Amino acid sequence: MKRIIGGLLLLLLSHLALGQVERGNILIRGGTVLTVTNGTLEGTDILVKDGKITQIGKNLTIQAGIKVIEADGMYVMPGIIDAHSHIGIDALNEATNPVTAEVFTGDALNPFQIGLYRALGGGVTTIHAMHGSANAIGGQCETIKLRYGVKDPEALRMAGAPRTIKFALGENPTRIHGSWNSIVPRTRMGVEFVIREALSKGKEYNEEWGVYNKLKNQKGFRGKAPEYSARLETLGDILNGNIIIHCHSYRADEIYMLLKVCQDFGIKKLVFQHVNEGFKVAPELANFGAMASVFADRWAYKFEVYYSTAYNAAILTKNGVTTSINSDDPELMRHLYHEAAKAEKYGALSDDEALALITLNPAKQLGIESRVGSIEVGKEADIAIFNGHPLSSYAIPMITIVDGIIRFDRDKDPDDVRIYVDPNQELDVSFKESGYDNVDNCMKDALQSFADFFETN
Amino acid sequence: MKNACINYVLKTVVFVLLGIFPGSLPAQIERTLNPVSGTYAITHVNIVQAPGRRVDRGTVVIKNGLIVAVGNDLKIPQDAIEVKADSMFLYAGFIDGLSHAGVMKAKDSPSKERIKDPGNPPADRAGIMPQNDVRDFLNIGEKSIESFRALGFTTAHVVPYGGMLPGSSAIISTGGKSADGMVMLPQYALYSELAIADRVYPSTVIGVMAKWRELYKQASLAKSYESIYASNRSGLVRPAEDRILAAFYPVIDKRMPVLFKAEKVLDLHRVLALQSELGFPLILGEVKEGWDVITKIKSSGAKVFLSLDLPEERKLETGSEKQKEENNKTAEDIEKTALQKRRSDFIALYEGQAYSFQSAGIPFGFSTLSAKPADIVSNIRRMIKAGLTDDQALAALTVVPAKILGLSDRLGTVDDGKIANLVISDKAYFNKDAKVRYVFVEGVLYEIEHRQDDGTREVRKSE
Repeated sequence: MKRIIGGLLLLLLSHLALGQVERGNILIRGGTVLTVTNGTLEGTDILVKDGKITQIGKNLTIQAGIKVIEADGMYVMPGIIDAHSHIGIDALNEATNPVTAEVFTGDALNPFQIGLYRALGGGVTTIHAMHGSANAIGGQCETIKLRYGVKDPEALRMAGAPRTIKFALGENPTRIHGSWNSIVPRTRMGVEFVIREALSKGKEYNEEWGVYNKLKNQKGFRGKAPEYSARLETLGDILNGNIIIHCHSYRADEIYMLLKVCQDFGIKKLVFQHVNEGFKVAPELANFGAMASVFADRWAYKFEVYYSTAYNAAILTKNGVTTSINSDDPELMRHLYHEAAKAEKYGALSDDEALALITLNPAKQLGIESRVGSIEVGKEADIAIFNGHPLSSYAIPMITIVDGIIRFDRDKDPDDVRIYVDPNQELDVSFKESGYDNVDNCMKDALQSFADFFETN
Repeated sequence: MKNACINYVLKTVVFVLLGIFPGSLPAQIERTLNPVSGTYAITHVNIVQAPGRRVDRGTVVIKNGLIVAVGNDLKIPQDAIEVKADSMFLYAGFIDGLSHAGVMKAKDSPSKERIKDPGNPPADRAGIMPQNDVRDFLNIGEKSIESFRALGFTTAHVVPYGGMLPGSSAIISTGGKSADGMVMLPQYALYSELAIADRVYPSTVIGVMAKWRELYKQASLAKSYESIYASNRSGLVRPAEDRILAAFYPVIDKRMPVLFKAEKVLDLHRVLALQSELGFPLILGEVKEGWDVITKIKSSGAKVFLSLDLPEERKLETGSEKQKEENNKTAEDIEKTALQKRRSDFIALYEGQAYSFQSAGIPFGFSTLSAKPADIVSNIRRMIKAGLTDDQALAALTVVPAKILGLSDRLGTVDDGKIANLVISDKAYFNKDAKVRYVFVEGVLYEIEHRQDDGTREVRKSE
């Protein structure tokens, strides 16, 4: 018996060491709970066990030893979810080819980026760490939880979250591949061609392997397997419905184009990113079942983004499109609740509709709405606590909880939260420019590599 | 009388600018003529046969490149050249687990010209050359060979330069008459780095990871089709010849390990992720930030070579000029002190890495890929200061790497029958004043000479 227990303990320990996720028990007492799916509950307790919400109600009784957060006078909302981000990863644009479906940001997770902690400081608990927009079909993306403090990149993954992939339309892929490298796509027509061609190849690939896998099991079969391609296999998986497309897009015409392409290939899981002209095709998006992740009021940083409006989120919402507000930026990410409030102000949304823009709706877009995005019994305890209503410009995020573990506490906010320290770093305590230059963050890596290119050539 | 022969060798002198020990510049004397005898007797020397196994004032007799006798009161053969090593210390030659010693960069480095289609570059531009063999790039005249030999390294696991898959490694001796003559074991491991290509695919680590998996899976399929074909060729399409994929075959068969450079903590996680997915035998080389990955490395079964490179030592600024009172300190002073402390605490983790592997019971050797020869001995001393014992450090330079590389029958200890790779220092090797005096590589004597600061040579007179 002892040996069995010892073995189990060992197993447990080895799991912990191998990036197993830490989950906590906690009681959040007496807060104003913004459930998002079930209205606002005053003076309500939330009990969390083993990282999940087990009870919501008044005056809950608990076992001794469970940590209690007194939330009297505070507002308790689901952890904010950012459906478009590029932090927590070391590489984001394999900008050398118009189609790179095989690459995966989850291979470059970096749990040591301080941006993850700063995002927690803005109430964010889950982000979509995306490939950039250099390529018509970019890489696969990873949905991660902001468990800042873990040292194993595996522990950042939201295990079980659906696979997603980045597509990109318009100026970025045509500039990188067409203008700079003189290869297809140079135009929006070219982008459509590249996507259609890639998906067609993925279809053929599925068929070839389907035939081979059938024959392979027949007795006495001696044949050659089709050539393995990680790229075509991924494209085939999109066609099989195993991967959600998240497509960088601005103009209504190209959004409508991709709807038609997906229709032709029988693809149903489709989310548009940025979608500045989404308001022009809102009924079409709703009809298709495509979703939209937008900025509240950010535009005019390049030609294709001039025709924009702060009413976009509201128009999309009122037309029945599942809409979220994203950051695409480590700074904006820290006040997504302001962005939601702007959309509410402009478009006269309800509080719940506005909150859903940064919680439940991005969860739906990432296919994780059964696990996170609202405060409900059975959901994972990803919770943000504010000292005022989060849609008020005066509210400050106080505590952020992921899986029942406090990952940010404003009252215990250390000066130096670095996990790994560069031993060769020269120390400079003077204020430095952040390097933030308001460019399209989707183009990181791509811009850099091509800047290098022009310098060296 | 026999010592006259050493004088004879002194005729050709090669200086190597090294500065292993502060205040001195060692030089090395290389023989250009064959010695009159292949038999040597190193006498009155403190022999550390293996960590914890010592013979004081003993004799080591070597003949034709092998150790033939070790002990006290040995009869010195008639034809032996005597190397008088009174009060000196003798150890088995050191083994370097991952190195570029003696390796030239490819003669025709890939052209820097712009590739028309950067998504489909030629394999050499992409850094995918696993069919390369480090033997084709070995050069006995490379200065690095002398530098490492002067430190006592007599064996090195060397790899070619370039890209994510630069080619296969070899285990070499740090001396020999020709490039091939140095090679003990060719094609020992398939060498790999998470190295990106220059402005062509794969230009990011995510591209490298995807390409690695794809090549491995393609190779697995190609290999299994080759075996189907070999069993009965009739009626089957001839398998395509592909040297890149074929380079993976011995790895897939687990006959050859992949040697992965994994310096940083995230490199380690990424390499271990590839290994757990694909299941190849793995050697981790040049590990610098492994302390948080110990459990994962242990359960992966990977073999480990820790880097002999360390971050520069930083002294905490005590603020002695100002001697500020606690309440006189500005916020900036306090922040600066805290940051300095954080940095020096972190440097201590690098210094303590070897000790933490030792404590966790993971056998490890050392590697020198990015280490400066001049820093290596002082870096080992920093690791010893951080907890490693002298014996453990010696083990990581000798018996453990011999075992990891499967060479225990030939290398790693001073015992008769083993290859005569020896290092002899005037004091115990890890003593800060110690200087290496002689190195034997497969029975060939190299006398190491040290120059004083003022440029005068400290020539050792032989009576």
